Amino acid sequence: MWSSTNTALANREPVGREFNGRVARVSKLRHSRPFVHVAALLCLLSVCAAQKIQAPTSVTAGEDATISTIGSGTATFYLFGPGVASKQDVRLGADIHLAAKDLQNAGAYTAVICGDPCRSTNIYVVASKTSGLTFLVHPSRVPVGQTDAVSGVAFPFDQFHNLVLAPVSVDFQLTAGASSLMSRAIHSENGVAWFRTASGKSAGPLQVVATVGALRAARAVQQVAFEPCNLRIKGQRTSKGIMVETEPVKDCAGNPLPDGTIVTFSASDANGKSTVDAPVKQGVARAQLEASDSMIVSAASGVVTGNELRIGARP
Amino acid sequence: MKISQLARAGFLVIAGLLLSALSMRAADSSPVVQLNTSKAGPRQIESLTERGILRDYRFAWTSLAQALEFNTVDPLDGPFVGDAKKWITDSVNSQKSSGLSTRHSDQNHKLEAVFYAPEGDVIELHDTAEYQLQLLDGSKTVYDAHVVMHYVVLMTPAADRWVIRQLQAVPQF
Repeated sequence: MWSSTNTALANREPVGREFNGRVARVSKLRHSRPFVHVAALLCLLSVCAAQKIQAPTSVTAGEDATISTIGSGTATFYLFGPGVASKQDVRLGADIHLAAKDLQNAGAYTAVICGDPCRSTNIYVVASKTSGLTFLVHPSRVPVGQTDAVSGVAFPFDQFHNLVLAPVSVDFQLTAGASSLMSRAIHSENGVAWFRTASGKSAGPLQVVATVGALRAARAVQQVAFEPCNLRIKGQRTSKGIMVETEPVKDCAGNPLPDGTIVTFSASDANGKSTVDAPVKQGVARAQLEASDSMIVSAASGVVTGNELRIGARP
Repeated sequence: MKISQLARAGFLVIAGLLLSALSMRAADSSPVVQLNTSKAGPRQIESLTERGILRDYRFAWTSLAQALEFNTVDPLDGPFVGDAKKWITDSVNSQKSSGLSTRHSDQNHKLEAVFYAPEGDVIELHDTAEYQLQLLDGSKTVYDAHVVMHYVVLMTPAADRWVIRQLQAVPQF
């Protein structure tokens, strides 16, 4: 893929192809004297041609490139691009070598050769093959049995951190323990591949892996129990009052609720109502209630309420 | 006409020209940005988010233009992070060491959101940008053209703004 030369102008003329530039110049000279016509034609055939440059329109990041020049004499060569701005004297007619280190960032580069006049051409550097994955997974903790609760987004990048825009097949795999929850190959579009899926049925770590060829990026999501199910409490009088505690708090699938889940104990007696919040520790929540009269104790966690417990007055 | 009247008229003309030049300069330095969110997905973009992206993208290009015109990296702190900030910083440093500079003026950006992550933590935009691009060697202009560029942009939310993480020109979308 080779481009024809663009005309770089130092006087705010629009950019155009070299051929168009020549036509424009000829048309402007129609009303001039004959020797001016001859000079202009000589210019077109010699001097202007001497400024011609050619470059590949597309180069892979991190690869060398060569710009060809036609003509004789010396000129100044400029290269402007992402991360690069350089200037050097060159000899027209010789090739200009662009080093791989100057073409590592994907994007548009403008090469300008200034003799008289300036000429330019554009080069696009595209990402090389995928050598890294940016993989975002949400959330870090998720209740079990929820639809569209886990999502992942993968961006393939090359070794120079350019986004790979060519379609890439990304394999997403979700495993909980030994069981596979999801395995899906997604082709990236516009440099991104993503998925969204339901969480598993059992509490515990969920491994989420994105793979492109030999590349692998792994993330972990902690699956936790959903709402508690059949919240039951028991209690007994102690010397300090009443000690109440739950039975092991689990969701309806039998997953123990994580430590820190709050259970609210409510006690009603002749003096009124009082509440105590207690976190679940190792599956059980406990609270000490101060009371000497008979009372009714109940518990709730989230939207779930448990049984009521009637405790008689201190003998 | 008296000399004082001539002086006043001259002053008014000069003042008018100055005002005109300043307003033109202001127009140059303020990019016009439009955002189309109709194709964004899988997450829908809320209007508040849309306004924030427009504001921060416009500011980012103002900063980029200042950085590359005056060869200073200060404007890059804030609107750019990661690889985008690195290559612009490298450009500024290369320009500075070579006595070169780049001027972006009359910027017009047509943004299209093509991907908005399910959790809203990254957005991909396609920018069809038109501007006058001047490449300068000292005070000499070596390239001056009205260009139409296509950029693939990744923006992520930071503490108080959206920042550009990736800014990559492509031949077409």
